[in-house]
Amino acid sequence: MATSAHTIAAPARATTAAGSATLRRKQGFQHGGWFVAPFLLLFALFVIWPLLRGVYLSFTDANITGEGASFVGLDNYREALDDPLVWDSLGHSAYFTLLVVPCITVLAFLLAMLAHHIERAKWLWRLCFFAPFLLPSTVAANLWQWLFNPGTGMINHVFGTETPWLTDKSYAMLAIVITTLWWTVGFSFLLYLAALQGIPGHLYEAARLDGANAWHRMVHITLPMLRNITGLVIALQVLASLQVFDQAVVMMDFLPGPEGSTRTFVQYTLEEGFTSYRVGYASAISVIFFVIIAAVALARMWLLRNREESAR
Amino acid sequence: MGRPDLNRRQLLGGLGGLLVAGGFGFAALGTGADALASDADTRVRYWNLFSGGDGSNMIAMLDAFRAANPDIAVKDSTLQWGSPFYTKLAMAAAGNRAPDLGVMHLGRVTGFAPGRLLDPWDTGLLAKYGVREEDYNPTLWKRGVIDGKLYALPLDIHVQLCFYRKDVLKKAGLLGDDGRIVPVTSTDEWFDVLKEAKRATKKGLQTIGMWNADQNFQWWFFVAFYTQLGGTWFNATDTEVTFDTDKAVQVLRFLRRHVTEGYSSPGFGGLASAEQFINGSPFVWEGNWSVPVYSGAKLDYGATPLPPVFGRQATHAESHSFVLPHQSERGGATNEAAHQLAAYVVQHAQQWAAGGHIPAYTPTLSTTAYKKLDPQSEYVSAMDHQATEPKVWFAGSTGILAQRVGPIVVSSTMGSAKPETAAGRMKKALTQLLATKNPMDGKTAAEGGAA
Amino acid sequence: MTTKAWTPSQILLTLLGTAVSIVFLAPFAWGLFTSLKSETEAVEVPAHWLPEDWTGQAWKALFESGNITNWFVNSLVVSVCVTSVVLLVSALAGYGFARTEFRGKGVLMGLVMAGLMISPAVLGVPLFTTVQQMGMVDTYWGMILPQCAPAAMVYILYKFFQGIPRELEEAAFIDGAGRWRVFFTIVLPLSRPSLAAVGIFTFIASWNNFLWPYMVTNNPDLMTMPNGIATVMNSYGIQWAQLMAGGLMAGLPLIIVFVFFQRQIVAGVAHTGLAGQ
Repeated sequence: MATSAHTIAAPARATTAAGSATLRRKQGFQHGGWFVAPFLLLFALFVIWPLLRGVYLSFTDANITGEGASFVGLDNYREALDDPLVWDSLGHSAYFTLLVVPCITVLAFLLAMLAHHIERAKWLWRLCFFAPFLLPSTVAANLWQWLFNPGTGMINHVFGTETPWLTDKSYAMLAIVITTLWWTVGFSFLLYLAALQGIPGHLYEAARLDGANAWHRMVHITLPMLRNITGLVIALQVLASLQVFDQAVVMMDFLPGPEGSTRTFVQYTLEEGFTSYRVGYASAISVIFFVIIAAVALARMWLLRNREESAR
Repeated sequence: MGRPDLNRRQLLGGLGGLLVAGGFGFAALGTGADALASDADTRVRYWNLFSGGDGSNMIAMLDAFRAANPDIAVKDSTLQWGSPFYTKLAMAAAGNRAPDLGVMHLGRVTGFAPGRLLDPWDTGLLAKYGVREEDYNPTLWKRGVIDGKLYALPLDIHVQLCFYRKDVLKKAGLLGDDGRIVPVTSTDEWFDVLKEAKRATKKGLQTIGMWNADQNFQWWFFVAFYTQLGGTWFNATDTEVTFDTDKAVQVLRFLRRHVTEGYSSPGFGGLASAEQFINGSPFVWEGNWSVPVYSGAKLDYGATPLPPVFGRQATHAESHSFVLPHQSERGGATNEAAHQLAAYVVQHAQQWAAGGHIPAYTPTLSTTAYKKLDPQSEYVSAMDHQATEPKVWFAGSTGILAQRVGPIVVSSTMGSAKPETAAGRMKKALTQLLATKNPMDGKTAAEGGAA
Repeated sequence: MTTKAWTPSQILLTLLGTAVSIVFLAPFAWGLFTSLKSETEAVEVPAHWLPEDWTGQAWKALFESGNITNWFVNSLVVSVCVTSVVLLVSALAGYGFARTEFRGKGVLMGLVMAGLMISPAVLGVPLFTTVQQMGMVDTYWGMILPQCAPAAMVYILYKFFQGIPRELEEAAFIDGAGRWRVFFTIVLPLSRPSLAAVGIFTFIASWNNFLWPYMVTNNPDLMTMPNGIATVMNSYGIQWAQLMAGGLMAGLPLIIVFVFFQRQIVAGVAHTGLAGQ
């Protein structure tokens, strides 16, 4: 904010011709409120207001019609803590995250290494690995639902198995994870690829001159240089995976999966809000979810800051 | 790729500008591409959940209506069946964007906030178009009446059936002289039938499809067999749970036995149940709406109500009904046209019966054309042995009750919970639900939350 | 193209790359071949890759039912509007935060950063009731506007504008140019790559968005492609051939665009992603 104090002090000295130019220059950067106003208006209407409204609704027994809600204090929160489905669905989202994040990170890295090191037709590899990401989630889910379909699906046919992918609770989440890997790995792959291309070539040259073999170059140059991007990939994936919804509902035909085993947290809030019409209760569990997401995001910021400080 | 030359850039820019302008123009109009194309005087927007054979029958009836009433445009939309449909209907009504006419399961009406999300029918208007209370089974008609007003106009009764392939059963010697499956009256007899049938079944196919992994079907089958045992849910005033865990255990064991003895494969526990039947699997338990699917596939098959293995006939039954989703400005020509359309479809349900459903409009039942339908005539008796969910606000097709209890039945059938444990859990869930307040009026079932 | 040596390691890597690519492309092929089978052949056991009877019936039925063209138009309208509003609004805001001074800037910037954690997945139910209050359920605006306040895009452009040397703008100010003119004639042209990145990313995200349109549209006439395909079955049941054809219709436009504008899209996605660092 040093600039701010500086600009405010400026008009006092603005008497000479040079000063007037300075003044005009500084004024150009002042009163920028109008620049941010359109965004802030949308932001207030569709982000801040719903957040405040969600907190307010969470203390009421509002239903979907928006009429006749009364204040119920902390009842919704008390109920949520006792509601086994809250914990179940939170567990399912967490389980999904635990499976997806490491797999995606490793797979994206390997694919990026592959695409980076093949010298021919680079565009082709990029296209193949990234194309699934361009599909809508529902289309990806339908494709894999069809691939996993018992009897007529290709996966069991190709591997000669009879795995009940979508109908057994020990496989259903796995099927969703596999679909998600295929569908979203392309994004992290591109990030890794961009990072790999950003590593200065002279580092490798120098290492080669020092007689380092490929393995050493990877461990001592590539991996350390990719540390930041790995942190980013993991953070983005964790936040996205905790909010998983689309693939799970589409692959399970909008049901919570065999024995409720793929009901994710987002799905549960929507079930309570839009299927059971309990908007108040759904708001309460949404607020809880928001706190969890915010905690994860803040934890990441805190980690980053600590690392920057220790690096100094 | 090189730098695009100026002309190409200008072209792209121009196209982009047009696209943006067109986009905003469209958004400002806000009606959707389809509405622009309609030029009829009155337009009835009608939402239904009919897919499969029902879908094509409904479309045929709508086409007949359109031909008879060219001044009324019917815009029908089919949404995915099950809870997404009810979610969408509720959200549209709550957002005051409801269609003019909708379809619902009768069991869901009490919990769907009649008066808030639904508008009542004008019985005078219905009579004008030929539908009167006298044309209905009184019990059925009354299920649609709440607080003295008619909120749901029943279209049909649909039941869970045991479909069997005559070609396979004949090989297994399980067909009687009348060409129908031999009667079964106990669980032992039933498993003997399965054993014989299994021998005659092609390799790679299961013996019976029973939607092991589907929480809706498993719940419906449970309701049917639990009713066969004479089980009850709540006491008359809806204050106490009378659910009998011993009877429940019997039913759950029976369902589970199909899997443990290898007649039903967990892998084919979903839609594949039906696909397997088409491919030559001898049995599938399914709703009567599959009749046109199997008839269309030219299968040699029959269908009976679910076998009375516990000594007494009872099979799960529900009804489709027409409803008027809440619109704050309901009335006028569109509303009348909605009445007219519903009345027309109800009266022309012969076509609908071809879809396997038992028509609710009784004059249709006594026609010779209906009596000739096969296999409909084989299971029409099912309407006298209906097993239904309790009449409380949280019940009804794919309702909260099914959502909570269905997965428990599945967990037992699939073997991840013991029948005893599952029965206990079911009782606990029922107790919880009975104490839960209907979010629409803040009352529990006992306090009249059913409205 | 320059010729490169086929060293053993290159041969090995290329083979590996080919194998992995086949795995990645197989689901597309399976979908495509299914869409060219008849509905009965599609569910035949055992499954087989190629149709025995090649038929376009699924594609024909898809277009005859009419929904798919509606949805395509809807998707286009929504994505185009969202992208243009987001570009305009977040460029202005990013510049405002990066370059200008106004009261409460620090607090507002903090709020925007907090907004990074909020999405329709997290606050769907209250967001729906808000839009419901505004009477925008089942309207294009109800779908579009809530997608138009992405804190992430503001943040990315904010970072970018911070990196532009101030001298250019200062010189223009001294020449007497107004603030808005400077923004539109000097700053924006300089930021074309970043704007392209944000635009591309927003378009992809909006075209593929399922959750919010799913919540806010119930009328099948107004649905976008991803939503329509998932929630509206045609009146003849799950018909895999048609479903696959519809899915390809929804997915192929972006993939074809990708083939032609690969470099820009890759740069765009990487740029927006990397900005999170």
